[in-house]
Amino acid sequence: MISRIVRTSILAVLGLFWLVPIYLLLANASKSNANYSGDELWIPGNPIELWNNIVLVFSTTDVPSGLGATAIYAIIAPLIAVVLGSTIGYAVIVLRLKHGFFWFFVVFCGTVFPLQMMVLPWFDVYARTGLFDTTGGMLLIYAVVATPFSAFVMRNFFAGISESVFEAAVVDGAGVWRTFTRIYLPMSTSALAVVFILQSTWVWNDLLLSLILTQSPSTRPVMPLLNALQSAEGGGPGYTVVLTAALIVSIPAALLFLFTQRFFQRGLALGQY
Amino acid sequence: MKDRSSTNYQRSAWAFMGPGVAVVVLVLYLPVVYTVYLSFTEYGGLGSPVFAGGQNYVTMFADPAFLGSVVNTGIWVVGTLVIPVGFGLFIAYLSFGLRGAGILRIPFLIPYALSGVAVGVVFSFVLQNGGALSQVLAFFHLPGADTRWLAEAPLNTIVMIIAASWQGIGVNALLFTVGLQSIPKEPLEAARIDGASGIRLFTSMIWPLLRPSTTIVVGLSIVNSLKTFDIVQAMTQGGPNRVSETLGVTMYKDTFVNSDYGLGSAVAVFLSVITIAASVIYLRRQLTIGTGSGTPAEVTK
Repeated sequence: MISRIVRTSILAVLGLFWLVPIYLLLANASKSNANYSGDELWIPGNPIELWNNIVLVFSTTDVPSGLGATAIYAIIAPLIAVVLGSTIGYAVIVLRLKHGFFWFFVVFCGTVFPLQMMVLPWFDVYARTGLFDTTGGMLLIYAVVATPFSAFVMRNFFAGISESVFEAAVVDGAGVWRTFTRIYLPMSTSALAVVFILQSTWVWNDLLLSLILTQSPSTRPVMPLLNALQSAEGGGPGYTVVLTAALIVSIPAALLFLFTQRFFQRGLALGQY
Repeated sequence: MKDRSSTNYQRSAWAFMGPGVAVVVLVLYLPVVYTVYLSFTEYGGLGSPVFAGGQNYVTMFADPAFLGSVVNTGIWVVGTLVIPVGFGLFIAYLSFGLRGAGILRIPFLIPYALSGVAVGVVFSFVLQNGGALSQVLAFFHLPGADTRWLAEAPLNTIVMIIAASWQGIGVNALLFTVGLQSIPKEPLEAARIDGASGIRLFTSMIWPLLRPSTTIVVGLSIVNSLKTFDIVQAMTQGGPNRVSETLGVTMYKDTFVNSDYGLGSAVAVFLSVITIAASVIYLRRQLTIGTGSGTPAEVTK
Protein backbone atom coordinates (compact mmCIF):
# COMPACT_ATOMS: atom_id res chain seq x y z
CA MET A 1 0.00 0.00 0.00
CA ILE A 2 2.73 2.44 1.01
CA SER A 3 4.71 1.49 -2.04
CA ARG A 4 1.67 2.32 -4.18
CA ILE A 5 1.42 5.78 -2.67
CA VAL A 6 5.14 6.37 -3.11
CA ARG A 7 5.02 5.21 -6.72
CA THR A 8 2.01 7.37 -7.48
CA SER A 9 3.65 10.41 -5.91
CA ILE A 10 6.92 9.94 -7.77
CA LEU A 11 5.04 9.64 -11.05
CA ALA A 12 2.87 12.65 -10.31
CA VAL A 13 5.85 14.85 -9.43
CA LEU A 14 7.82 13.70 -12.46
CA GLY A 15 4.74 14.23 -14.63
CA LEU A 16 4.36 17.82 -13.46
CA PHE A 17 8.05 18.40 -14.11
CA TRP A 18 7.53 16.97 -17.60
CA LEU A 19 4.83 19.50 -18.31
CA VAL A 20 7.04 22.51 -17.49
CA PRO A 21 8.23 23.08 -21.10
CA ILE A 22 4.60 22.86 -22.27
CA TYR A 23 3.65 25.42 -19.63
CA LEU A 24 6.44 27.74 -20.79
CA LEU A 25 5.26 27.34 -24.38
CA LEU A 26 1.67 28.24 -23.49
CA ALA A 27 2.59 31.02 -21.07
CA ASN A 28 4.87 32.81 -23.49
CA ALA A 29 2.74 32.28 -26.58
CA SER A 30 0.18 34.28 -24.59
CA LYS A 31 2.28 37.43 -24.31
CA SER A 32 2.54 40.27 -26.75
CA ASN A 33 5.89 40.64 -28.39
CA ALA A 34 5.98 44.37 -27.64
CA ASN A 35 5.55 43.98 -23.89
CA TYR A 36 7.59 40.83 -23.81
CA SER A 37 10.54 40.95 -21.48
CA GLY A 38 12.91 38.23 -20.42
CA ASP A 39 12.07 38.82 -16.74
CA GLU A 40 8.53 37.50 -16.98
CA LEU A 41 9.16 34.15 -18.62
CA TRP A 42 7.60 32.18 -15.79
CA ILE A 43 4.50 34.33 -15.39
CA PRO A 44 1.37 33.17 -17.24
CA GLY A 45 0.17 35.28 -20.16
CA ASN A 46 -3.40 36.10 -21.07
CA PRO A 47 -5.78 34.71 -23.69
CA ILE A 48 -6.23 38.05 -25.47
CA GLU A 49 -2.54 38.24 -26.30
CA LEU A 50 -2.63 34.61 -27.39
CA TRP A 51 -5.45 35.47 -29.76
CA ASN A 52 -3.50 38.48 -31.06
CA ASN A 53 -0.49 36.26 -31.68
CA ILE A 54 -2.65 33.73 -33.51
CA VAL A 55 -3.95 36.54 -35.72
CA LEU A 56 -0.35 37.65 -36.33
CA VAL A 57 0.69 34.13 -37.32
CA PHE A 58 -2.20 33.91 -39.77
CA SER A 59 -1.73 37.38 -41.21
CA THR A 60 2.05 37.82 -41.38
CA THR A 61 3.47 34.33 -42.04
CA ASP A 62 3.02 31.57 -44.60
CA VAL A 63 1.63 29.25 -41.92
CA PRO A 64 -2.01 29.37 -43.22
CA SER A 65 -1.06 28.17 -46.72
CA GLY A 66 1.40 25.74 -45.09
CA LEU A 67 -1.40 24.20 -43.03
CA GLY A 68 -3.38 23.63 -46.23
CA ALA A 69 -0.44 22.03 -48.03
CA THR A 70 0.43 19.87 -45.03
CA ALA A 71 -3.17 18.69 -44.68
CA ILE A 72 -3.21 17.59 -48.32
CA TYR A 73 0.03 15.62 -47.91
CA ALA A 74 -0.93 14.14 -44.54
CA ILE A 75 -4.33 12.92 -45.76
CA ILE A 76 -3.80 11.84 -49.36
CA ALA A 77 -0.31 10.28 -49.20
CA PRO A 78 -1.18 7.85 -46.34
CA LEU A 79 -4.38 6.89 -48.20
CA ILE A 80 -2.35 5.94 -51.28
CA ALA A 81 0.08 4.01 -49.05
CA VAL A 82 -2.78 2.19 -47.36
CA VAL A 83 -4.18 1.09 -50.72
CA LEU A 84 -0.80 -0.03 -52.08
CA GLY A 85 0.02 -1.81 -48.82
CA SER A 86 -3.23 -3.72 -48.70
CA THR A 87 -3.01 -4.81 -52.34
CA ILE A 88 0.46 -6.17 -51.58
CA GLY A 89 -0.76 -7.97 -48.47
CA TYR A 90 -3.73 -9.38 -50.40
CA ALA A 91 -1.55 -10.68 -53.24
CA VAL A 92 0.94 -12.33 -50.89
CA ILE A 93 -1.37 -13.84 -48.28
CA VAL A 94 -4.79 -14.31 -49.86
CA LEU A 95 -3.92 -14.90 -53.52
CA ARG A 96 -0.73 -16.79 -52.57
CA LEU A 97 1.52 -15.10 -55.08
CA LYS A 98 4.39 -17.38 -56.08
CA HIS A 99 7.57 -16.28 -54.27
CA GLY A 100 5.28 -13.87 -52.48
CA PHE A 101 7.45 -13.64 -49.41
CA PHE A 102 10.43 -12.68 -51.50
CA TRP A 103 8.54 -9.84 -53.18
CA PHE A 104 7.08 -8.75 -49.88
CA PHE A 105 10.59 -8.74 -48.45
CA VAL A 106 11.78 -6.56 -51.33
CA VAL A 107 9.06 -4.02 -50.55
CA PHE A 108 9.63 -4.19 -46.80
CA CYS A 109 13.39 -3.60 -47.11
CA GLY A 110 12.61 -0.23 -48.65
CA THR A 111 12.41 1.03 -45.05
CA VAL A 112 15.92 0.07 -43.97
CA PHE A 113 17.65 2.88 -45.85
CA PRO A 114 17.79 6.29 -44.20
CA LEU A 115 15.96 8.90 -46.28
CA GLN A 116 19.32 10.65 -46.72
CA MET A 117 20.19 7.81 -49.06
CA MET A 118 17.43 8.74 -51.51
CA VAL A 119 16.76 12.41 -51.11
CA LEU A 120 19.51 13.67 -53.39
CA PRO A 121 18.40 11.63 -56.44
CA TRP A 122 14.82 12.73 -55.77
CA PHE A 123 15.93 16.33 -55.70
CA ASP A 124 18.09 15.90 -58.81
CA VAL A 125 15.42 14.10 -60.85
CA TYR A 126 12.64 16.40 -59.63
CA ALA A 127 14.68 19.46 -60.59
CA ARG A 128 15.15 18.05 -64.11
CA THR A 129 11.57 16.89 -64.66
CA GLY A 130 9.67 19.79 -63.16
CA LEU A 131 8.33 17.76 -60.24
CA PHE A 132 10.37 19.85 -57.80
CA ASP A 133 8.20 22.04 -55.61
CA THR A 134 4.92 20.45 -56.77
CA THR A 135 2.12 18.94 -54.71
CA GLY A 136 2.09 15.84 -56.92
CA GLY A 137 5.80 15.27 -56.46
CA MET A 138 5.52 15.47 -52.67
CA LEU A 139 2.49 13.16 -52.59
CA LEU A 140 4.32 10.55 -54.67
CA ILE A 141 7.33 10.45 -52.36
CA TYR A 142 5.41 10.55 -49.09
CA ALA A 143 3.11 7.78 -50.33
CA VAL A 144 5.90 5.49 -51.51
CA VAL A 145 8.02 6.01 -48.40
CA ALA A 146 4.98 5.00 -46.31
CA THR A 147 4.19 1.92 -48.43
CA PRO A 148 6.60 -0.68 -46.93
CA PHE A 149 5.24 -0.18 -43.41
CA SER A 150 1.70 -0.31 -44.76
CA ALA A 151 2.44 -3.57 -46.61
CA PHE A 152 3.99 -4.98 -43.44
CA VAL A 153 0.94 -4.27 -41.28
CA MET A 154 -1.60 -5.38 -43.88
CA ARG A 155 0.23 -8.61 -44.65
CA ASN A 156 0.27 -9.50 -40.95
CA PHE A 157 -3.38 -8.60 -40.63
CA PHE A 158 -4.53 -10.64 -43.62
CA ALA A 159 -2.50 -13.59 -42.35
CA GLY A 160 -4.84 -13.63 -39.35
CA ILE A 161 -7.99 -13.94 -41.46
CA SER A 162 -9.21 -17.47 -42.07
CA GLU A 163 -8.72 -18.89 -45.55
CA SER A 164 -12.33 -20.03 -45.58
CA VAL A 165 -13.37 -16.40 -46.00
CA PHE A 166 -11.76 -16.31 -49.42
CA GLU A 167 -13.06 -19.76 -50.34
CA ALA A 168 -16.60 -18.82 -49.37
CA ALA A 169 -16.39 -15.67 -51.47
CA VAL A 170 -15.17 -17.67 -54.46
CA VAL A 171 -17.92 -20.23 -54.02
CA ASP A 172 -20.43 -17.38 -53.94
CA GLY A 173 -19.07 -16.24 -57.28
CA ALA A 174 -17.22 -13.07 -56.20
CA GLY A 175 -14.11 -12.25 -58.22
CA VAL A 176 -10.77 -11.44 -56.64
CA TRP A 177 -11.31 -7.69 -56.99
CA ARG A 178 -14.79 -7.81 -55.47
CA THR A 179 -13.56 -10.02 -52.65
CA PHE A 180 -10.82 -7.49 -51.97
CA THR A 181 -12.97 -4.37 -51.95
CA ARG A 182 -16.17 -5.81 -50.47
CA ILE A 183 -14.85 -8.34 -47.97
CA TYR A 184 -11.17 -7.91 -47.08
CA LEU A 185 -10.98 -4.11 -46.92
CA PRO A 186 -14.10 -3.72 -44.75
CA MET A 187 -12.78 -6.45 -42.44
CA SER A 188 -9.50 -4.60 -41.95
CA THR A 189 -10.62 -1.12 -40.92
CA SER A 190 -8.69 -1.23 -37.64
CA ALA A 191 -5.40 -2.17 -39.35
CA LEU A 192 -6.01 0.39 -42.08
CA ALA A 193 -6.58 3.00 -39.38
CA VAL A 194 -3.31 2.12 -37.61
CA VAL A 195 -1.36 2.57 -40.83
CA PHE A 196 -3.16 5.75 -41.80
CA ILE A 197 -2.76 7.42 -38.41
CA LEU A 198 0.93 6.62 -37.97
CA GLN A 199 1.87 7.63 -41.49
CA SER A 200 -0.26 10.74 -41.39
CA THR A 201 1.54 11.87 -38.23
CA TRP A 202 4.89 11.14 -39.82
CA VAL A 203 4.05 13.18 -42.92
CA TRP A 204 2.70 16.04 -40.80
CA ASN A 205 5.90 16.22 -38.76
CA ASP A 206 8.38 15.65 -41.59
CA LEU A 207 11.14 18.22 -41.93
CA LEU A 208 13.86 16.63 -44.07
CA LEU A 209 11.93 15.91 -47.27
CA SER A 210 9.85 19.05 -47.23
CA LEU A 211 12.89 21.23 -46.55
CA ILE A 212 14.67 19.84 -49.59
CA LEU A 213 11.86 19.27 -52.09
CA THR A 214 9.65 22.32 -51.64
CA GLN A 215 10.20 26.03 -51.95
CA SER A 216 7.11 28.10 -52.65
CA PRO A 217 4.36 28.93 -50.13
CA SER A 218 1.77 26.85 -52.00
CA THR A 219 3.70 23.60 -51.57
CA ARG A 220 5.81 24.14 -48.45
CA PRO A 221 4.35 22.40 -45.39
CA VAL A 222 4.44 23.75 -41.84
CA MET A 223 7.57 22.20 -40.33
CA PRO A 224 10.12 23.86 -42.64
CA LEU A 225 8.12 27.09 -42.26
CA LEU A 226 8.35 26.89 -38.49
CA ASN A 227 12.04 26.09 -38.78
CA ALA A 228 12.55 29.19 -40.93
CA LEU A 229 10.61 31.42 -38.51
CA GLN A 230 12.73 30.10 -35.67
CA SER A 231 16.08 30.72 -37.37
CA ALA A 232 15.08 34.19 -38.62
CA GLU A 233 15.63 35.53 -35.10
CA GLY A 234 16.07 39.28 -34.95
CA GLY A 235 14.62 39.96 -38.39
CA GLY A 236 11.85 37.45 -37.66
CA PRO A 237 8.39 38.00 -36.26
CA GLY A 238 9.48 37.90 -32.61
CA TYR A 239 9.72 35.03 -30.21
CA THR A 240 6.20 35.00 -28.83
CA VAL A 241 4.81 34.78 -32.36
CA VAL A 242 7.21 31.92 -33.21
CA LEU A 243 6.05 30.07 -30.08
CA THR A 244 2.44 30.62 -31.11
CA ALA A 245 3.24 29.26 -34.56
CA ALA A 246 4.84 26.20 -32.96
CA LEU A 247 1.66 25.72 -30.95
CA ILE A 248 -0.62 26.08 -33.98
CA VAL A 249 1.28 23.68 -36.23
CA SER A 250 1.46 21.09 -33.44
CA ILE A 251 -2.24 21.03 -32.64
CA PRO A 252 -3.56 18.91 -35.56
CA ALA A 253 -1.06 16.08 -35.07
CA ALA A 254 -1.40 16.32 -31.29
CA LEU A 255 -5.20 16.01 -31.47
CA LEU A 256 -4.94 13.07 -33.84
CA PHE A 257 -2.55 11.43 -31.41
CA LEU A 258 -4.63 12.06 -28.29
CA PHE A 259 -7.84 10.80 -29.87
CA THR A 260 -6.29 7.71 -31.38
CA GLN A 261 -3.88 6.63 -28.66
CA ARG A 262 -5.24 3.09 -28.82
CA PHE A 263 -4.20 2.76 -32.46
CA PHE A 264 -0.84 4.33 -31.74
CA GLN A 265 -0.16 1.80 -29.05
CA ARG A 266 -0.90 -1.03 -31.43
CA GLY A 267 1.09 0.48 -34.27
CA LEU A 268 4.05 1.31 -32.07
CA ALA A 269 4.34 -2.26 -30.94
CA LEU A 270 4.85 -3.05 -34.61
CA GLY A 271 7.91 -0.92 -34.44
CA GLN A 272 7.41 2.03 -36.67
CA TYR A 273 8.85 4.76 -34.50
CA MET B 1 -6.37 -26.02 -50.65
CA LYS B 2 -2.60 -26.30 -50.82
CA ASP B 3 -2.63 -26.22 -54.58
CA ARG B 4 -4.26 -22.83 -54.63
CA SER B 5 -1.00 -21.20 -55.69
CA SER B 6 -1.02 -23.30 -58.83
CA THR B 7 -4.55 -22.31 -59.78
CA ASN B 8 -5.28 -19.30 -61.90
CA TYR B 9 -4.95 -16.62 -59.23
CA GLN B 10 -1.31 -15.95 -60.09
CA ARG B 11 -2.19 -13.44 -62.75
CA SER B 12 -4.55 -11.47 -60.52
CA ALA B 13 -2.01 -11.74 -57.73
CA TRP B 14 0.48 -9.91 -59.90
CA ALA B 15 -2.11 -7.30 -60.77
CA PHE B 16 -2.40 -6.60 -57.03
CA MET B 17 1.32 -6.89 -56.28
CA GLY B 18 2.76 -5.20 -59.36
CA PRO B 19 1.99 -1.53 -58.72
CA GLY B 20 3.37 -1.62 -55.17
CA VAL B 21 6.56 -3.42 -56.12
CA ALA B 22 7.05 -1.16 -59.14
CA VAL B 23 6.81 2.14 -57.24
CA VAL B 24 8.97 0.88 -54.37
CA VAL B 25 11.72 -0.28 -56.73
CA LEU B 26 11.49 2.86 -58.84
CA VAL B 27 11.18 5.44 -56.08
CA LEU B 28 13.19 3.82 -53.26
CA TYR B 29 15.71 1.37 -54.71
CA LEU B 30 16.83 3.20 -57.87
CA PRO B 31 17.74 6.35 -55.90
CA VAL B 32 19.76 4.23 -53.46
CA VAL B 33 21.77 2.84 -56.35
CA TYR B 34 22.16 6.31 -57.84
CA THR B 35 23.41 7.72 -54.52
CA VAL B 36 26.02 4.97 -54.30
CA TYR B 37 27.11 5.87 -57.84
CA LEU B 38 27.21 9.61 -57.05
CA SER B 39 29.44 8.95 -54.04
CA PHE B 40 32.15 7.95 -56.53
CA THR B 41 31.76 11.08 -58.65
CA GLU B 42 32.46 14.77 -58.66
CA TYR B 43 29.11 16.51 -59.07
CA GLY B 44 27.53 19.81 -58.07
CA GLY B 45 24.15 19.61 -59.78
CA LEU B 46 25.24 21.26 -63.03
CA GLY B 47 26.37 19.27 -66.04
CA SER B 48 26.82 15.59 -65.37
CA PRO B 49 28.69 13.61 -62.70
CA VAL B 50 32.38 12.97 -63.36
CA PHE B 51 33.85 9.71 -62.09
CA ALA B 52 36.29 10.39 -59.26
CA GLY B 53 37.03 6.98 -57.76
CA GLY B 54 37.21 6.91 -53.96
CA GLN B 55 38.21 10.57 -53.69
CA ASN B 56 35.03 11.57 -51.83
CA TYR B 57 35.63 8.92 -49.20
CA VAL B 58 39.22 10.08 -48.73
CA THR B 59 38.01 13.66 -48.33
CA MET B 60 35.24 12.54 -46.00
CA PHE B 61 37.46 10.65 -43.57
CA ALA B 62 39.88 13.60 -43.44
CA ASP B 63 37.09 16.14 -42.87
CA PRO B 64 36.99 17.38 -39.25
CA ALA B 65 33.28 18.22 -39.65
CA PHE B 66 32.55 14.63 -40.62
CA LEU B 67 34.68 13.13 -37.84
CA GLY B 68 33.02 15.41 -35.28
CA SER B 69 29.68 14.35 -36.70
CA VAL B 70 30.53 10.66 -36.23
CA VAL B 71 31.43 11.33 -32.58
CA ASN B 72 28.22 13.31 -32.04
CA THR B 73 26.11 10.60 -33.65
CA GLY B 74 27.79 8.10 -31.31
CA ILE B 75 26.86 10.31 -28.35
CA TRP B 76 23.28 10.43 -29.65
CA VAL B 77 23.10 6.64 -29.88
CA VAL B 78 24.43 6.11 -26.36
CA GLY B 79 22.53 9.06 -24.88
CA THR B 80 19.15 8.03 -26.28
CA LEU B 81 19.75 4.49 -25.07
CA VAL B 82 20.55 5.53 -21.51
CA ILE B 83 18.04 8.31 -20.98
CA PRO B 84 14.82 7.59 -22.90
CA VAL B 85 15.05 3.80 -22.82
CA GLY B 86 16.17 3.53 -19.19
CA PHE B 87 13.80 6.20 -18.00
CA GLY B 88 10.96 4.86 -20.14
CA LEU B 89 11.34 1.49 -18.44
CA PHE B 90 11.42 3.23 -15.06
CA ILE B 91 8.13 5.03 -15.77
CA ALA B 92 6.49 1.87 -17.12
CA TYR B 93 7.62 -0.16 -14.12
CA LEU B 94 6.53 2.44 -11.57
CA SER B 95 3.10 2.88 -13.13
CA PHE B 96 2.47 -0.78 -13.84
CA GLY B 97 -0.57 -2.05 -11.99
CA LEU B 98 -1.27 1.29 -10.33
CA ARG B 99 -4.78 2.67 -10.29
CA GLY B 100 -4.93 5.55 -12.74
CA ALA B 101 -1.70 4.49 -14.44
CA GLY B 102 -3.04 5.69 -17.78
CA ILE B 103 -3.62 9.19 -16.45
CA LEU B 104 -0.24 9.27 -14.71
CA ARG B 105 1.47 8.46 -18.01
CA ILE B 106 -0.28 11.20 -20.00
CA PRO B 107 2.20 14.01 -19.15
CA PHE B 108 4.99 11.88 -20.63
CA LEU B 109 3.01 11.23 -23.80
CA ILE B 110 2.05 14.82 -24.55
CA PRO B 111 5.54 15.81 -25.81
CA TYR B 112 5.46 12.88 -28.20
CA ALA B 113 2.58 14.52 -30.02
CA LEU B 114 4.87 17.44 -30.88
CA SER B 115 7.11 17.40 -33.94
CA GLY B 116 10.90 17.48 -33.69
CA VAL B 117 10.86 21.06 -34.94
CA ALA B 118 8.33 22.18 -32.32
CA VAL B 119 10.41 20.50 -29.60
CA GLY B 120 13.42 22.36 -30.97
CA VAL B 121 11.58 25.69 -30.81
CA VAL B 122 10.45 25.11 -27.23
CA PHE B 123 13.87 24.02 -25.99
CA SER B 124 15.73 26.78 -27.82
CA PHE B 125 13.41 29.13 -25.96
CA VAL B 126 14.04 27.45 -22.60
CA LEU B 127 17.81 27.32 -23.14
CA GLN B 128 18.52 30.72 -24.67
CA ASN B 129 20.83 33.13 -22.87
CA GLY B 130 18.99 34.52 -19.87
CA GLY B 131 16.14 32.11 -20.72
CA ALA B 132 13.89 30.13 -18.46
CA LEU B 133 16.54 27.64 -17.35
CA SER B 134 19.17 30.30 -16.58
CA GLN B 135 16.61 32.21 -14.54
CA VAL B 136 15.76 29.18 -12.43
CA LEU B 137 19.44 28.41 -11.83
CA ALA B 138 20.11 32.02 -10.86
CA PHE B 139 17.05 32.11 -8.60
CA PHE B 140 18.28 29.13 -6.59
CA HIS B 141 21.88 30.40 -6.72
CA LEU B 142 22.95 27.29 -8.56
CA PRO B 143 25.97 27.27 -10.85
CA GLY B 144 25.41 27.34 -14.59
CA ALA B 145 23.17 30.38 -14.89
CA ASP B 146 25.63 31.92 -17.36
CA THR B 147 26.15 28.73 -19.35
CA ARG B 148 25.56 29.08 -23.06
CA TRP B 149 23.94 25.71 -23.50
CA LEU B 150 24.00 25.51 -27.27
CA ALA B 151 27.36 27.16 -27.96
CA GLU B 152 29.90 24.46 -27.18
CA ALA B 153 30.50 20.80 -28.00
CA PRO B 154 29.74 18.35 -26.59
CA LEU B 155 27.42 20.26 -24.24
CA ASN B 156 25.08 21.29 -27.08
CA THR B 157 24.72 17.68 -28.22
CA ILE B 158 23.98 16.51 -24.69
CA VAL B 159 21.41 19.24 -24.19
CA MET B 160 19.70 18.31 -27.46
CA ILE B 161 19.65 14.65 -26.41
CA ILE B 162 17.82 15.73 -23.27
CA ALA B 163 15.31 17.60 -25.44
CA ALA B 164 14.84 14.50 -27.60
CA SER B 165 14.47 12.39 -24.46
CA TRP B 166 11.81 14.69 -23.12
CA GLN B 167 9.90 13.95 -26.31
CA GLY B 168 10.61 10.23 -26.62
CA ILE B 169 10.25 8.79 -23.13
CA GLY B 170 6.47 8.44 -23.20
CA VAL B 171 6.55 6.16 -26.22
CA ASN B 172 9.16 3.90 -24.70
CA ALA B 173 7.15 3.80 -21.48
CA LEU B 174 4.11 2.79 -23.53
CA LEU B 175 6.01 0.02 -25.33
CA PHE B 176 7.41 -1.29 -22.05
CA THR B 177 3.93 -1.17 -20.49
CA VAL B 178 2.62 -3.35 -23.31
CA GLY B 179 5.54 -5.69 -22.65
CA LEU B 180 4.87 -5.81 -18.90
CA GLN B 181 1.21 -6.57 -19.53
CA SER B 182 2.13 -9.54 -21.68
CA ILE B 183 4.34 -11.16 -19.03
CA PRO B 184 2.58 -14.29 -17.74
CA LYS B 185 1.39 -13.94 -14.14
CA GLU B 186 2.23 -17.42 -12.85
CA PRO B 187 6.04 -17.32 -12.75
CA LEU B 188 5.91 -13.90 -11.07
CA GLU B 189 3.53 -15.17 -8.41
CA ALA B 190 5.76 -18.20 -7.87
CA ALA B 191 8.80 -15.98 -7.45
CA ARG B 192 6.92 -13.74 -5.00
CA ILE B 193 5.88 -16.72 -2.95
CA ASP B 194 9.51 -17.83 -2.88
CA GLY B 195 10.31 -14.47 -1.35
CA ALA B 196 11.69 -12.51 -4.29
CA SER B 197 10.80 -8.84 -4.26
CA GLY B 198 11.94 -5.39 -5.29
CA ILE B 199 15.16 -5.23 -7.24
CA ARG B 200 15.73 -8.97 -7.12
CA LEU B 201 12.30 -9.71 -8.57
CA PHE B 202 13.04 -7.20 -11.30
CA THR B 203 16.51 -8.37 -12.27
CA SER B 204 15.91 -12.09 -12.09
CA MET B 205 12.32 -12.34 -13.35
CA ILE B 206 10.88 -9.27 -15.02
CA TRP B 207 13.91 -8.09 -16.97
CA PRO B 208 14.48 -11.45 -18.72
CA LEU B 209 10.75 -11.83 -19.46
CA LEU B 210 10.67 -8.32 -20.87
CA ARG B 211 13.30 -9.13 -23.43
CA PRO B 212 11.05 -9.02 -26.54
CA SER B 213 9.98 -5.45 -25.73
CA THR B 214 13.52 -4.44 -24.85
CA THR B 215 14.79 -5.68 -28.19
CA ILE B 216 12.26 -3.58 -30.06
CA VAL B 217 12.74 -0.45 -27.97
CA VAL B 218 16.55 -0.66 -28.06
CA GLY B 219 16.62 -1.48 -31.78
CA LEU B 220 14.30 1.39 -32.64
CA SER B 221 16.19 3.74 -30.39
CA ILE B 222 19.53 2.96 -32.02
CA VAL B 223 18.21 3.17 -35.57
CA ASN B 224 16.29 6.39 -34.95
CA SER B 225 19.16 8.09 -33.13
CA LEU B 226 21.52 7.26 -36.01
CA LYS B 227 19.13 9.15 -38.29
CA THR B 228 18.75 12.20 -36.00
CA PHE B 229 18.02 15.31 -38.04
CA ASP B 230 14.98 17.38 -37.03
CA ILE B 231 15.89 18.50 -33.52
CA VAL B 232 19.47 19.40 -34.42
CA GLN B 233 18.39 21.25 -37.54
CA ALA B 234 15.80 23.14 -35.51
CA MET B 235 18.00 23.98 -32.51
CA THR B 236 21.54 24.62 -33.74
CA GLN B 237 21.49 23.76 -37.46
CA GLY B 238 24.59 21.78 -36.61
CA GLY B 239 26.49 24.84 -35.44
CA PRO B 240 28.30 26.76 -34.25
CA ASN B 241 30.98 25.90 -36.81
CA ARG B 242 29.44 22.48 -37.47
CA VAL B 243 30.36 21.18 -33.98
CA SER B 244 26.90 19.80 -33.14
CA GLU B 245 26.17 18.07 -36.44
CA THR B 246 24.92 14.51 -36.64
CA LEU B 247 25.47 12.40 -39.76
CA GLY B 248 21.99 13.26 -41.03
CA VAL B 249 22.74 16.97 -40.74
CA THR B 250 26.23 16.60 -42.23
CA MET B 251 24.78 14.89 -45.29
CA TYR B 252 22.23 17.70 -45.65
CA LYS B 253 24.90 20.42 -45.26
CA ASP B 254 27.44 18.87 -47.63
CA THR B 255 24.83 18.23 -50.26
CA PHE B 256 22.32 21.04 -50.15
CA VAL B 257 24.23 23.89 -48.52
CA ASN B 258 27.72 23.32 -49.93
CA SER B 259 26.46 21.71 -53.18
CA ASP B 260 29.05 18.94 -52.98
CA TYR B 261 26.82 16.08 -54.15
CA GLY B 262 29.66 13.55 -54.26
CA LEU B 263 30.76 14.16 -50.68
CA GLY B 264 27.15 14.32 -49.45
CA SER B 265 26.46 10.98 -51.10
CA ALA B 266 29.53 9.45 -49.48
CA VAL B 267 28.21 10.56 -46.08
CA ALA B 268 24.80 9.10 -46.97
CA VAL B 269 26.41 5.77 -47.88
CA PHE B 270 28.36 5.73 -44.61
CA LEU B 271 25.20 6.51 -42.63
CA SER B 272 23.26 3.81 -44.50
CA VAL B 273 25.84 1.13 -43.85
CA ILE B 274 25.79 1.64 -40.08
CA THR B 275 22.01 2.09 -39.98
CA ILE B 276 21.41 -1.12 -41.91
CA ALA B 277 23.84 -3.00 -39.70
CA ALA B 278 21.90 -1.79 -36.66
CA SER B 279 18.52 -2.50 -38.31
CA VAL B 280 19.31 -6.14 -38.95
CA ILE B 281 19.27 -6.74 -35.20
CA TYR B 282 15.67 -5.81 -34.75
CA LEU B 283 14.18 -6.27 -38.23
CA ARG B 284 14.91 -9.97 -38.01
CA ARG B 285 12.81 -10.05 -34.90
CA GLN B 286 10.13 -7.79 -36.27
CA LEU B 287 9.58 -10.00 -39.31
CA THR B 288 8.88 -13.01 -37.14
CA ILE B 289 6.29 -11.24 -34.99
CA GLY B 290 2.66 -11.81 -35.84
CA THR B 291 3.34 -13.48 -39.15
CA GLY B 292 0.83 -16.00 -40.28
CA SER B 293 1.21 -19.63 -41.19
CA GLY B 294 3.59 -20.92 -43.78
CA THR B 295 6.01 -18.03 -43.99
CA PRO B 296 8.95 -19.35 -41.96
CA ALA B 297 9.42 -22.16 -44.42
CA GLU B 298 9.42 -19.69 -47.27
CA VAL B 299 12.08 -17.56 -45.61
CA THR B 300 14.59 -20.33 -45.97
CA LYS B 301 14.00 -20.67 -49.70
